[in-house]
Amino acid sequence: MTITAESVSAATAPAQSSKKRSRKFDPWGAVAWLVGLGFFFPVLWMVLTAFKQEADAATSPPTLFFTPTLDQFKAVFDQGIGPAMLNSVWATGISTLLVLLLGTPAAFALSLRPVRKTQDALFFFMSTKMLPIVAAILPLYVIVSNIGLLDNIWALVILYTSMNLPIAVWMMRSFFLEVPGELLEAASLDGASLWRSVREVILPLVSPGIAATALICVIFAWNEFFFAVNLTAVNAQTMPVYLVGFIAGEGQYWAVLSAAATMAALPVILCGWFAQNKLVRGLSFGAIK
Amino acid sequence: MAAITYNNASCVYEGSDKLAVDSLNLDISDGEFVVLVGPSGSGKSTALRMLAGLEDIDEGSIEIGGKNMTGVPSKDRDIAMVFQNYALYPNKTVAENMGFALKLRGVSADERRRKVEDAARILDLTEFLDRKPAKLSGGQRQRVAMGRAIVREPQVFCMDEPLSNLDAKLRVQTRTQIAALQRRLGTTTVYVTHDQVEAMTMGDRVAVLRFGKLQQFASPNELYDKPANAFVAGFIGSPAMNLVTLPVAPGGVKIGDSILELERADVSKISEAGLSEVTVGIRPEQLELSDSGGVDVVVDLVEDLGSEAYVYTHAGSGVELVARCNPRTAPKLAESVKLRKHPDGVVHLFHSQSGERIN
Amino acid sequence: MTSTSLIAGTQADTSQGAVAERVRKIREAQGAGVSRAEGWRRRGPLLPALIFMIVVTQIPFVFTLYYSTLSWNLVRPGSRQFVGLSNYIAVAKDSQFWRVGLNTVVLIVGVVLISALLGLLLALLLDRAFFGRGIVRTLLITPFLVTPVAAALIWKTTILDPTNGILNWALSLVGIPPVDWIGQFPLTMVMVELIWQWTPFMMLLILAGLQSMPRDILEAGRVDGAGAFQLFRELTLPHLRRFIELGVVLGAVYLVNTFDAIYMMTQGGPGIASSNLPFYIYQRAFLGFDMGQAAAMGVVVVVFTIFIASFALRLIFKSFSGKEEAA
Repeated sequence: MTITAESVSAATAPAQSSKKRSRKFDPWGAVAWLVGLGFFFPVLWMVLTAFKQEADAATSPPTLFFTPTLDQFKAVFDQGIGPAMLNSVWATGISTLLVLLLGTPAAFALSLRPVRKTQDALFFFMSTKMLPIVAAILPLYVIVSNIGLLDNIWALVILYTSMNLPIAVWMMRSFFLEVPGELLEAASLDGASLWRSVREVILPLVSPGIAATALICVIFAWNEFFFAVNLTAVNAQTMPVYLVGFIAGEGQYWAVLSAAATMAALPVILCGWFAQNKLVRGLSFGAIK
Repeated sequence: MAAITYNNASCVYEGSDKLAVDSLNLDISDGEFVVLVGPSGSGKSTALRMLAGLEDIDEGSIEIGGKNMTGVPSKDRDIAMVFQNYALYPNKTVAENMGFALKLRGVSADERRRKVEDAARILDLTEFLDRKPAKLSGGQRQRVAMGRAIVREPQVFCMDEPLSNLDAKLRVQTRTQIAALQRRLGTTTVYVTHDQVEAMTMGDRVAVLRFGKLQQFASPNELYDKPANAFVAGFIGSPAMNLVTLPVAPGGVKIGDSILELERADVSKISEAGLSEVTVGIRPEQLELSDSGGVDVVVDLVEDLGSEAYVYTHAGSGVELVARCNPRTAPKLAESVKLRKHPDGVVHLFHSQSGERIN
Repeated sequence: MTSTSLIAGTQADTSQGAVAERVRKIREAQGAGVSRAEGWRRRGPLLPALIFMIVVTQIPFVFTLYYSTLSWNLVRPGSRQFVGLSNYIAVAKDSQFWRVGLNTVVLIVGVVLISALLGLLLALLLDRAFFGRGIVRTLLITPFLVTPVAAALIWKTTILDPTNGILNWALSLVGIPPVDWIGQFPLTMVMVELIWQWTPFMMLLILAGLQSMPRDILEAGRVDGAGAFQLFRELTLPHLRRFIELGVVLGAVYLVNTFDAIYMMTQGGPGIASSNLPFYIYQRAFLGFDMGQAAAMGVVVVVFTIFIASFALRLIFKSFSGKEEAA
């Protein structure tokens, strides 16, 4: 029998034996569950509170049993969350698309066809990420207002693209690097031009990686607040900005605040849950070889 | 199908001052099966990749079918290559892998299917045509890699250690299949391996390389019978030829306390070269245990292979000798025996400094 | 036709010098012409992204430098004038700025270290298989996904509120009197919220490191007689080092810009007790409208960050330029 990496790890990892062990109580498993629930608790509480009446929301001791209601969500909708939702979708979607359009060829150039200056370009990309954005916000504000893009969603689209591009290039580069060089050589011998080999051989292999990158970009763009709060007012406000404005009006009304917070956070949470494996791959930055 | 010529071809190692291949000259005839063999770092893979266009030709040139290949990209050279790790396209099925090159050339789907099925039949892959490489065993993947190459009907086959990832039994089996296939198709083939057994059994001619330089380019028999230098002598044949540098003595050379007598012609060649020491080579199969006369040795180890046995010994002066013998009559450990040359055994003589053949 | 051909293996020009000379000639011939066109073709795909980044990030920074030399208040239109380095002097003398800088450092270091430690512990917990491991992982990554302002809001109101917050209620069950967490420990509470959000990130990175570790060296260690703790210290931890480093560096880079949590939870207060540099500068610029000063502060922050970032970048490149260390 040939020994493969799979069979070795299957033999040693507890995964196989847990089928036999599941009868016995696993203390560390229980600890993991406790910790998991503990970390999740604030989110759980947020969602629960969103379904409460105000009277049940801010109480001590906290109300655990209550009749759920959709009133709070209705109230949030009535207050006009729609436009903000759309703005967020627009800014997040378009900027992620731009990031993929600009970043994929860049990552390709930096990995599979490196030139002497490759390290420098990569260095530059990463360094842009490290500069505090607070230093750029002032001139950005002035520039954006001078070109008339203040309170316009396109300003955010451009800024989010620049915000996510370095991470995207870094991540996608690591996925490109995982493609074995021999595959490209084989394709080249078979008669494929560079473009053809990219299309038929490389892209199918890196598409999970590109999806992971897109997911990370979506998370960061949707949740972004600093640029949004400074460069938008009423028309172009995104979900986080809307949420903050909501608080100004609703102060101590926790239930409705929770409903608004839930709606603000839910899309990305769901995305992250469903595409969890891609998220994990992406966050590990292809560090797993 | 085409003849191949390497004209003083050289290639530089990336980021270093060394030449991976140094002034290689080879004349390969149309339809020939040539093996490039040598230890790791000998430049054999690089030489192959230069032919395929995967490495630059830094000096000299390579011609295929009379046409100079300098500057010609791989995809225009009409060469098919079998890679050591197979390089199969993971997202394509076996049939798609094999048909890819044809698809690129615009061959119709029906024609493609026909050719792929023909090749699959030869290689026993018909039942796997719709599977993806991940679901195949190592041996099956190797056959797909071969199938991908033969479907193309190219001028030249390049094979880069295609058997090295297979287990021993499969290796022997596949070896014969490849040789038979090449004979049937008649395509000029350049085959790289580090295994001299593969080289000897498969090649019409074998090129032995070392540190980027060609040592000898000849048929397996000639390499075996008349190695051009000490390196080739020690590389070809298993177990390796006994090579010892011995001081010259009247009528022959001195081993320990005895004198090994050499032919007249050889003795005069040695004195012509003005040497006081000479490297002597005798193959283990040409040494035998003797009852009378020969070199006194002590047995260190006996390897019994069933069909034959090899006795590892050392002579008084530290010289080590390996001899072949009958496993039923093999001596015991630490026994003292005598070894002498077979009556028709050949003694090879090499210059003690340069390693070049003298006789 | 059989041929035996011997090559220049025995002749004099195999000397090292001769070979090096030929290599040099080859390199010379290569340097000019051929690879240059290829070089540009290879760089081509990189250019759109590169140019985009340069325009959007570098140009504003140049402007920031320019503004820092002005005394300029947005509310008073005519007041813009060149004052050289006096903004920088004012910043140097501004004790609040340095206090806020200290807060920033404390925040970054504290959050990164504690979340890295917690992440390590969680990764170890999740590295073994147990019932419902996938679900627990899902639960654990959620804090990272929650919109920071929403998360900060929830922490501030439902959890940390002195009267009705869950934390005080839970503590009251064991007899501890209610505490005004945000009022009394503003910076700490912000850090707690950030740790909650960043631990999943660290955990995922370190988990990736744990799962990429070849199992056979652990087996070798066990056979050699090492106990669990020794295995961890001698084998696992060194392997994890580069993952932990990556997490620390990336986390620090993002945390430099922390703004949302402070904006939502404390507004930097009381006073500047929980303010960090981004928030402080934001206040100067958008609430005080003092562009010149804010710009100067921004430049100072950038200079410090460059200093630290250069270490960080070298670290990332060193540990991840493709070479996996031999076990």
